[in-house]
Amino acid sequence: MARHLFTSPPPPDNTPEDQPGAPRNKQAIHRVSLVRAAPPPRRHRLTSARLLFPELHLPWWSGYVAAVLGVALASGAIGLINQQVHLANISLLYLLVVLWLSTAFGRGPALLASVLAFLAYDFFFIPPIYRFTVDDPTEWVSLGVLLVTSLVIGQLTALVQKRAREARESQRQTATLYGLAQLIASATDQQSLQEALVQRILEVFAPLGVEACALWLPDSSKHPHIQATAATGSLSQAAFTLEEREQVGQARWVLAHGTPVGWTLTVNEASTTRRYTLSHLPLRCQSGVIGVLELVGTPESRRLVPQLALFGGEQQHTGKKASESDSSSRLLAACCDQVALALERATLQRQAINAEALRQSNHLKDALLGSVTHELRTPLASIEAAASSLLSPGVTWSSAEGHELLESITISARRLNRLVSNLLDLSRLEAGVAAPQPDWQYIGEVVSVVLDRLELTGQLQRHQMEMKLPEDLPLVPMDHEQMEQVFTNLLENALKYSPAGSIIRVEARVIGPPAELEVRISDQGIGIPASELKAIFDKFYRVQSARLPWARMRAPVGTGLGLAICANIIHAHGGRIWAESQEGKGSTFIFTLPIPDGGPQSDSALPTSTERAAPQTPEVITP
Amino acid sequence: MNTTGSPSESRSLLPSDKGEARLASPATSARPPTGARVLVIDDEPEIWRAVRAGLISAGFTAEWASTAAEGIDLSARWHPDVLILDLSLPDQDGLDVCRQVRTWSQVPIIVLSVRGKDEDKVTALELGADDYLTKPFSMAELLARIRVALRHAAYPSTRGDQARFETGGLVIDFERRQVTVEGRDVHLTPTEYDLLKYLAHNAGKVLTHRAILQAIWGPAYEQETSYLRVFFNQLRRKIEPDPSRPRYLLTELGIGYRLRETE
Repeated sequence: MARHLFTSPPPPDNTPEDQPGAPRNKQAIHRVSLVRAAPPPRRHRLTSARLLFPELHLPWWSGYVAAVLGVALASGAIGLINQQVHLANISLLYLLVVLWLSTAFGRGPALLASVLAFLAYDFFFIPPIYRFTVDDPTEWVSLGVLLVTSLVIGQLTALVQKRAREARESQRQTATLYGLAQLIASATDQQSLQEALVQRILEVFAPLGVEACALWLPDSSKHPHIQATAATGSLSQAAFTLEEREQVGQARWVLAHGTPVGWTLTVNEASTTRRYTLSHLPLRCQSGVIGVLELVGTPESRRLVPQLALFGGEQQHTGKKASESDSSSRLLAACCDQVALALERATLQRQAINAEALRQSNHLKDALLGSVTHELRTPLASIEAAASSLLSPGVTWSSAEGHELLESITISARRLNRLVSNLLDLSRLEAGVAAPQPDWQYIGEVVSVVLDRLELTGQLQRHQMEMKLPEDLPLVPMDHEQMEQVFTNLLENALKYSPAGSIIRVEARVIGPPAELEVRISDQGIGIPASELKAIFDKFYRVQSARLPWARMRAPVGTGLGLAICANIIHAHGGRIWAESQEGKGSTFIFTLPIPDGGPQSDSALPTSTERAAPQTPEVITP
Repeated sequence: MNTTGSPSESRSLLPSDKGEARLASPATSARPPTGARVLVIDDEPEIWRAVRAGLISAGFTAEWASTAAEGIDLSARWHPDVLILDLSLPDQDGLDVCRQVRTWSQVPIIVLSVRGKDEDKVTALELGADDYLTKPFSMAELLARIRVALRHAAYPSTRGDQARFETGGLVIDFERRQVTVEGRDVHLTPTEYDLLKYLAHNAGKVLTHRAILQAIWGPAYEQETSYLRVFFNQLRRKIEPDPSRPRYLLTELGIGYRLRETE
C-alpha cells in the first residue's frame, strides 16, 4: 500500500570508499527483494583526529591498551634519555601520557596509566633497578608525587573532558532541535514539512546507524499510511516495503498503545547477511499519539530507543557507553516531541484555516443575503403592485395604463429571472460543480444567439450594435452555455451603463502565440475609474452609483454578480479577463480564450455529397 | 420516424378500444390553427393558468394534464393537435411520455425545459419532439411555436412537392437547383445545396446536429459536430447578408440549427 509513496529519489551516495566487491541491484534477500543503491558507508574510519578525540566508535578496551602502550613508550623514552643525560624530573614524561589518556579516553585508562607509571618508574629507574623496592627514602617522595599528581591530573582532565563532551553534546542537541524548529517554521505546506522532517532526522541520526526514516500518519479510520520517507544512499527506500504488512501492523500497534516497538530483519544478500533493526516510535502530543516515526538501521541503531521492546531478534550488547546512548536517545526523544508538536501545530493550523474559511463564507453569505434580498424584493414588489392594481375591484384602467402595468410586470420578471440564474451560476461555479464542458464552437454563433435573445426582449432597441468578427475565426473550445452567460452579462452591462443611441461594439481576433481568441466588448458609457478596474470583478462590487450621471433618476439595477461570474467562467476556461476604460469615453471588457492545436479548421472530415448520395426526400429524419 | 403522416393518419393509429378513438375526417385535420386543441402536460397549476389564458385568447382549445399518466391518457382520448410537454413531471420522465406518445401518434410535441438541460432537449428532439422552449418563456414565443408546429402537421407532405421555398430574401428553386439571396444568384456546392434543401423542407423546425449529419452525410458522420459548425460557417458566408448576425440559418446552441421560416 505504501509502495507508491516512495517517489522521491534516494539522495546521492556520498561515501568516498566504494566497496568494489559488493554486487549491486541483484541481491537475494529472504522473502523480500531489496534494491540496494550502494554499499553502506564505513562508519569506523580511524583517523588521527579520532584517535586523539575518539567520540563514540572505538571499543571500550582501547583506552586501556593505549594506557599500557603509552606507559611502555614513555618508559622507553625515559630509558633512552637517561643513557644520555640524567634528569631529575624525567618522570614528568609519564604525566604527559596520563594527560593524553585522560583527555582521549577518560578516567579509567588514566587511572591505570597512573598506577602503571608509578610501578614502571619504580621498577626501571629507581635504584635498585628491576626491583620494586626503594633504597633512597627521598625517592619515595618523588614516586609519591608522581602517583598523586598523575592521579589528580587524570581525574581532573577526565572531568573537564566529560564536561566538554556534555557541552558538545548539548550543543549538538540544541543545534539539531533548532534546525528542526527552523524547518518547521519555514515549511510552507504539510507535505514538504513532513518530507523535510524525516530528511532532517535521518541526517542527524545517520552517524548512529540509522539508514532510513519514515513518517506514518493515521487516516480517518486510524489506519496508518506512510506520508514521507527519507533514506541514505546505502539503503534504498525499498526498505519500507520489507515485510509491508508487518510494518503496517507495528505502526498500528504503536498508534494504539503509544509505546515503541522494534524488530530485526535478516536480509541475505549475495555474499553477506545483513541485519536491520526497524523501530516504530510513537509521536506523542497532548491529544495523544498522532503519528509514528519509523527508523530503519543497523542493529546498533536500536540503542537509540532504550525502552524498545524488540521482537524478532536476539538481545545484543553493543558495549557503548551508557551516557552516549542516553544523550542520543534523549535527542531522539526530543526530536520526536518536536515532530509531534509540528504535526499537531499543522493540524491546528489547518483547522484554523478551515474555521476562517467557514467564517468568511458565512460573511459572504450574509453579504449575499443582504444584496440579494434587496434585489429580489424590488422586482417582486413592483410585480405585486402592478398585478394587484390591475386586479383591484372597481377600477377601470385605460388600455395604455393597463399596458404600462403589464410591461412593468414583464420587466420585473425578467430581472428576477436574470438574478436567479446569476445566483445559481455563481453558486455552481464556486462549488466547482460547473466545470466547463468545452466543445469546439464559433464565438460568432454564441454572440448571435445572445443578441437575438436580447433583441427579442427589447433590450437592444435603444443601442446600436456593431459586430467585427473576421470570417476566418477558428473554432475555439468553450462551454457554450457558460459563454452565453459571459456574453449576456457583458452585453447587459454595456447596455445598462451606456446612454441610449450609443454604439456597443463586439470584436474578436486571434492573437498570439500562444494562440488565443481575444474578444472585446466596448461601450460608449461613462467609463470606470482606473482605481476600480480590478475590483469590478469581485463579488458584490458595484461602481459607486453616485458617479453615474443618470443615477439621480434611476439607479442601474444589479447585484454585482455578473462580472464575478464572467471572471469565474473565463478563468475556468484557462483564459484572462480584464477591463480598460477612459472615463467619460467608455469601457472595454476584454477576455481571451486559449486555442489549442488540433481544432477542426475545415470541413474536410465530411465528404461532399457527390461522394455520398444526397437524400432524395427530406422526410428521412429518423429519431 | 416518418413525418409524412398527417394528423388524420396518426389518429387512425389510435387504439380502437378507446371509446373516443375514431377516424378523424380529413376536413377536421385540415382545419385552420384556430380552434386547434392544445394539451398542456405540466405539473405546475400557475403555469397552466397563465398558458390557458393565453391559449384561449389566441383561439385555441386547451386541456391540462398534471401528471405523465394523465397526459398519456388524455392524448389518447382527447386527440390534441399539439402537445406541450414539460420534461420534469412528478410521476414519470417527460422523455418517457414523448417516447410513448410517439409509438402511436405523430401529434406535434413542444417540450418545455429549464436552462442547462441540453441533453434532455436533444434527446426529446431525437425521440420525435418537434420543438423545445426554455423556461421561463414568453407567451408570444409559445404561441409562435404552436403555430409553426400546427402548420408543419397540417401540410407535411406538400412541402416536399413545393417547387420553391422562400423566407425573407432567400429563395430556393428546387426544380432548377438555384438559390438566390435578395435576387442575387448564390453558387453553392452540391453538399451545401443538399443541406439547405434539407433545412428548407424542415423550415422553422429545430434540427439536431446529429439529425443533420445523419441526413446529409450518413450515420457514420453523426458525431462530427465541429465539422458541421465549420460547414455552416461557410454556408452562412454565402447566403447571409451579415454572417455575424444570421437571419436565415439560426443557431440553437448545444442543440442544432433551424432555418427561419416566414412568419
